[in-house]
Formats: sequence, structure tokens, C-alpha cells
Amino acid sequence: MTDRPDLLLGGTPTARRFGLLNWLGLLTFFRREMARGFKIWKITLAAPAIRAVLFASVFGLAIDGPDATMGGLPFMTFLVPGLITVAVLERAFESAAFSIVYDKTEGIFGDLAVLPLTPGEIVFGFAAATVTGSLMVAAVVTAALFPFVGLLPENPGVLVFFVVIGALMIGLFSQIAGLWAKKWDYINSVQTFIFLPFVFFSGVFFALDSLPAAIRPLAQANPVFYVVDGIRYGMTGQAEADPVFGAFVCIGVTAFFWAVSYRLFSVGYRMKS
Amino acid sequence: MREIAENQMLKPEDLPVREIVPPQVRQFGAVNWRGLWTLYHREVKRFFKVFTQTLAAPVVTTLLFYTIFTVALQNRVGSVGAVSFTVFLAPGLIMMTILQNSFANTSSSMMTSKIQGNIVDVLMPPISPLEMLCGFLGGGVTRGFIVGISATIAMMVLVDFPFHNPAVILFFALTASIMMALLGMIGGIWAEKFDHMAAITNFVVVPLSFLSGTFYSIDRLPEIWQSVAHLNPFFYAIDGFRNGFIGQGDAPFWLGATVMLSVNLVLFLIVHRMLVTGYKLKS
Repeated sequence: MTDRPDLLLGGTPTARRFGLLNWLGLLTFFRREMARGFKIWKITLAAPAIRAVLFASVFGLAIDGPDATMGGLPFMTFLVPGLITVAVLERAFESAAFSIVYDKTEGIFGDLAVLPLTPGEIVFGFAAATVTGSLMVAAVVTAALFPFVGLLPENPGVLVFFVVIGALMIGLFSQIAGLWAKKWDYINSVQTFIFLPFVFFSGVFFALDSLPAAIRPLAQANPVFYVVDGIRYGMTGQAEADPVFGAFVCIGVTAFFWAVSYRLFSVGYRMKS
Repeated sequence: MREIAENQMLKPEDLPVREIVPPQVRQFGAVNWRGLWTLYHREVKRFFKVFTQTLAAPVVTTLLFYTIFTVALQNRVGSVGAVSFTVFLAPGLIMMTILQNSFANTSSSMMTSKIQGNIVDVLMPPISPLEMLCGFLGGGVTRGFIVGISATIAMMVLVDFPFHNPAVILFFALTASIMMALLGMIGGIWAEKFDHMAAITNFVVVPLSFLSGTFYSIDRLPEIWQSVAHLNPFFYAIDGFRNGFIGQGDAPFWLGATVMLSVNLVLFLIVHRMLVTGYKLKS
């Protein structure tokens, strides 16, 4: 009320003015996206933790004895960062895409087009919510997996960097997938046939040297590999690829997805039509 | 024209007497077969319409699981009993997908009908609670079988596993999918929102199907958990099914069969009772 004296005095309402960024709009949008995730916290926070614990238990019971190794690390120590990555990336994938497709099926997606938000602000709002949600998942899953090997981050800064960049990368991909999807089946197909294979074959559960030499270069071309490897470096201090190189790959792919998503929101792809 | 003209000249009493029959209630015997078939048909069409999600996705997921487990655990797990780990794993994964899909079919069908309000379309027609139960059950079992058979065929490309006793395989596939379809109905009737359903799937169905011996022989578990596993019907489903393939199991056939049949009987009675009383459906 206080910032609208024109209304208090009974004058003609004028358009709200804002500078370079519509901070209030952006914040509102961000808060809406966060609230959506929180409302179903059992699915967005508790379920990923349960799944990670399940995978850890199953692998832990299946391997022969505690001295099995993988990629030069004890097997479970190798596995834990991988499971954290899966949880982070799954949450990131399910964030924006699910919001967008839900709004589409409810017929309220057009609301985004009439908000006083620029395409850049929308992309940023979604991305910020994705990253915040993913960081929470990372914290919850790391805590849930702690009893297995008592693993604490070796390089917390590196860990946070790769969680953020991984969540951004997949979060932006999720925006693109959400815009493209017309119905739930589309997004489920992207998840099962594109997202999951990329994640599962990225070195989450096994080191690349376990793969046949012929398909190793394929795995190295998978950007998700650098996310997993970076997160593993952050947790254990050991990595298969150079983390700096990995960081550049991740930044490059993220920038590309950002540009695509920005472009799609600008032209209103499957949004204004 | 001439005929009409002639007719018009007839007097009313000359007209042939025709008895006017009011619409009759359709007669059927003890079972309304057409109604049952229609409901079953709807249930099957429901998942076929989105077959990428309901049939292709589970098979792909199963293959992904198989691949990551074999690549990650190669040389880290020797044999389980008399068979190699891959041969041990394959039937477990097939059963896991049967369990999850039979459950998913009835629960999501029930849930969606309730949320969208078209559950009345199933409650209104002249089908008895028993017929309604069988129609839904049939849909769930059919999906479990289609996914199970597809996964088996896909898995045969990757690993060479024996078919020790097809009758045992079939018995456990059938009883397990019936069990899960019935549980799905209970879940679907009980849950009021999609997140209730997601909670049941995430916190009950997935953990039970993971931890009941899909990936390891239960003699790896600590003593106390072994006794817990023996109280878990999922364990008997997976163990018995695998026994049919590789001819070795943790529990004897008669025990598994007894557990599965009695669990199914109890679940059947519960669901039937729910449908008779209209629990959370007719209020």
C-alpha cells in the first residue's frame, strides 16, 4: 500500500515502474515455484532420500565383502557421490518440466505470458527454484547416506559448485522439455528414454574403466559424466577426469541450454499459440 | 404411394394387432459377462493408450537396472548359490517390474476415476462388486503379464538363463500380479490425493520390491532381517519366481505357494468388502 500513494489518494492508477529487473515479480514467481515443491515434500525430499538409501543397501548387500573397490575407491565410497548426483539431477529434471506441464494441462500456463516478467526473468526464476530445491535434496540425501560410509565432503566448495551447475544444466533442459511437452506422456518419455539413460550411463554406479573400451568415449561425451565426476571429486577428493575441464564442459552445456530456453520463452514456443 | 393410399383406407380395426413391448431390463444369469468384459476391456485400453509409459518405459527401466548392476558389480560378486550373479539377477528384475506394474495399473485407474469423478460410471452399471473387482483385477494382471513377458524377452538377449520349471514361473507370476493388483485397488480406494498414492508407491511398494531379494540372496541379511524377510510376501513372490527359472531358492515351493494363495485370499476378501460397502467410493 505504501508504495502506491496514487491509489491511496484516489488518483488514477498508474503502471508500476521497475528498473532493470522486476524484483517483486521475480521473487513472487520464485516463491511460487518453491512452494509447489515444498507442498509435496514427501515426494520431493523424502522420496529421493529413501531411494538413495535403498540403492545403497541393495548394492551394499549384493557386493562380496567390504573390500570391493571401484575406480580406486572402496565400492560404497565410490557409490555415495553417485547416488547424491542421481537425486540432485532427478529433482532438477522434475522441477520446471513438471510445473510447466501441470500448468499446461490445467490451462493456466498462459498466465506466464501475461505476467510483467521478461523471458529472461522467467528462465532465471525457474532456474533459481530448481537450484535451491536441488541443494536441499543434496543436503538431505548426503545426510541420509552418511551412516553407510561416514562420508563427509572433502572439498565442500567444489561439491556445491558441481551440485549447482548440474542442477542448472538439467533444470534448463527440464524447461525445454516442459515447453516441448504437450501432455504428461511426453515428459515421462523424455525422462525414461533420454534423461535416465544419460544419468545411468554417466558413471553414477560404475567407473568408466568398467565399461568396454569401445563405448568409453561415448560415456566421456556425456556431459552428465562431468557432473558426477565433479561431485565425486567434491566428496572424496578423487576424480576420473580433470575437474577443471569438467567444470568448463558443464558451464558450456548449461550456457547452451540457457540460450535455447531463453529463445523458446522469447518466441513463446507452445506457450502463446 | 398407392400402398399408402390403400393403407389409409383401412379402418383401425383392420390393422394388424401388434403388441407394444416396453424396453426390457437386459437379462443375464449369475454373471453379467458383457459388463465384466466391458470393464476389463476399458482397463486394458487405458494402459495401451499410453503404452510408451506403461509398457515400453518399464521394460527400458528394467534393462537399465540390469545393465548398471552387472557393469557395477562384475567381478565384485561371484556366484549366488550355483548360478552366476547375472542369471540370479534377471528373474528378480522381471518379477520386480511385474509387481510394480500390476500395482500401478489398478491404483492409478482407481485414483484417476475418483479424482476425475467418473468412478460413478463404474458404480452405476449393473455389475456386482465381485464383477467390478474382477474387471479391475484383470486389467492389472494383464499389464503385469505383458510387461513381464516383454522384459523376459528383452532380457534373454542380454543373458542366457534357464527355464527350469515353466509351471512354477507362471504360478508365481500370476499370484504375484493378482496380489499387487488387489493391493493397488486397496491403495487406490484408500488414497484421496495423488500424493497419497505417490507416498504408498515410494515408501511401501518400491522399498518392498527392492529389499525382498531381487538383488541378493536373503542369506546375506543379518539373522534378524532374515526372519523378517520370511514374513514378507514380496520375498516369496520373487524367490518362488526365480526358483522357477534357476531351480534354486531360499524357501520351498509349498511354503511360497501357501503364502501367496492365502495372502491373495485375504486381500480379495478385503477388496470385495470395500466394494460392497462402498468405502470411500459411494460417500
